[in-house]
Amino acid sequence: MQGMLAFQNAPPFAAPLRFFLTAPLFSLAAGLLVAAGGPELLESRWTPGLLAATHLITVGFMLQVMLGALIQILPVVAGVNLGNPLRVARWLHAGLSAGVLLLAGGLLLGQPAVLSAAALTLGLTIAAFLIVTGRALSSVPSTSPTIRGLKIALVGLAGAVALGALLALALARGWAIPLPVLTDLHVGWALGAWAGILLAAMAFVVVPMFQLTPGYPARPGWWFPRLMLGLMLAWALAVLLDAAVAIRLIQAAVALLGIAFLLLTLRLQMQRRRARADATYRYWQLGLAGAIFALAMLLTATAWPPLADLDGWSPFAGILLLVGGFMSFIIGMLYKIVPFLAWLHLQNQAKPGRPVPNMNKILPEVAMQRQMRAHAAALVLLLAAAIRPDWLARPAGAALALASGWLFYNLLGAALRYRLHLQELDREAPAA
Amino acid sequence: MSHPKAPHVVDARYMEPPEPFVHTIEMLDTLKPGEKMLLLLFREPHPLYKVLTQNGHAYETELLADGTFEILIWR
Repeated sequence: MQGMLAFQNAPPFAAPLRFFLTAPLFSLAAGLLVAAGGPELLESRWTPGLLAATHLITVGFMLQVMLGALIQILPVVAGVNLGNPLRVARWLHAGLSAGVLLLAGGLLLGQPAVLSAAALTLGLTIAAFLIVTGRALSSVPSTSPTIRGLKIALVGLAGAVALGALLALALARGWAIPLPVLTDLHVGWALGAWAGILLAAMAFVVVPMFQLTPGYPARPGWWFPRLMLGLMLAWALAVLLDAAVAIRLIQAAVALLGIAFLLLTLRLQMQRRRARADATYRYWQLGLAGAIFALAMLLTATAWPPLADLDGWSPFAGILLLVGGFMSFIIGMLYKIVPFLAWLHLQNQAKPGRPVPNMNKILPEVAMQRQMRAHAAALVLLLAAAIRPDWLARPAGAALALASGWLFYNLLGAALRYRLHLQELDREAPAA
Repeated sequence: MSHPKAPHVVDARYMEPPEPFVHTIEMLDTLKPGEKMLLLLFREPHPLYKVLTQNGHAYETELLADGTFEILIWR
């Protein structure tokens, strides 16, 4: 039977690969920025250097991988295809890359024209992506918590980008708006309503699939995205009404909801049927620990706000959530997705019965494990640098650059080995 | 393994891709006309749905409380 027919509709490997290969270069740039900026950069969450480095990680690394992976994974998890995935990937990748460079440059240099250009570039690029993806997703019913989660996450992305563009334009043009309160709201929408819901929607599929755990129970799966979006809308309303106590209560609820999802994932992981702890599993363990601790810090600060004003508190929590949590989850998934896609496309190209190299040949486990140790070391150094920036800011930045460069090297190696095997298959094809 | 919904069952809940797909296709090849099979998974297999439709099979999916998707397949 047409065993591999299922994969004929998969987007070409070049569509997501460009995102996966450039993303580590942006986190590498974030590391270099911290190393160059030194202790002053980590003095508070508002320094231009830290704002630029943060967006190199959130937009340059996280958003790149998330959108690239979505183009690839939508047919698999939702049964929808984007019209021309390669073309969508090309302009999306160009817009995102240019936009994040403008944003980091504009924040770092405080240049109004560059910040405005960043808001325009990222705003238009993501609006176009939302239209293309939203149209495709609206054509399918929400038959699984994953599909519902994806639809709601897109609303979260729209909100996060709209708030981000507003903040960038306000900075550029000196609009009198309450920047700290709106920045918190922007962070909430970006990490809770977009990245958090997307992570959950993907986790419902990939955690049981790749780590051989039990499935996520259906009821929390259906409710998590709706509750998170509801809290974000309430947060926005509380900001409009200038209700400080309500904002704190909502932030506490967001932290609790996030912790509940993470603890559920941790419990499922403890029941997994795969004995071997591979790089993906270890990265997810690191991510869960980092994110739970970061959200516990947020929860504590909502109960006792002066904590958030302590030196290093906000950078520490932010590093824990972004480098410890989201980056770990994302790299853990990349280490499954990239070798799997390479294998899948090779399998699809090969004649029936012709063996193709297994996934470990395309990206060896030992290479992933070593890079993961570098990432964990960078995380520890960055956290220590948040407490003692005068000693550790530069080595910590260098460590993040090293771990990101290593990730790039690993992924590039996988892409090159894939290409080599593909050429071998092409050479065999004329004889068929 | 059998199930109240169908005598032939592929429990692919703890299998890695592409095993669930391969086992399902193999079992479909052994089904006699009018027979049904059940696939158990912790996700919805959209790529498989496409193949089933292309090959003239019908399917019906139910999500259980524990997160299991029961996919009943017949021709």
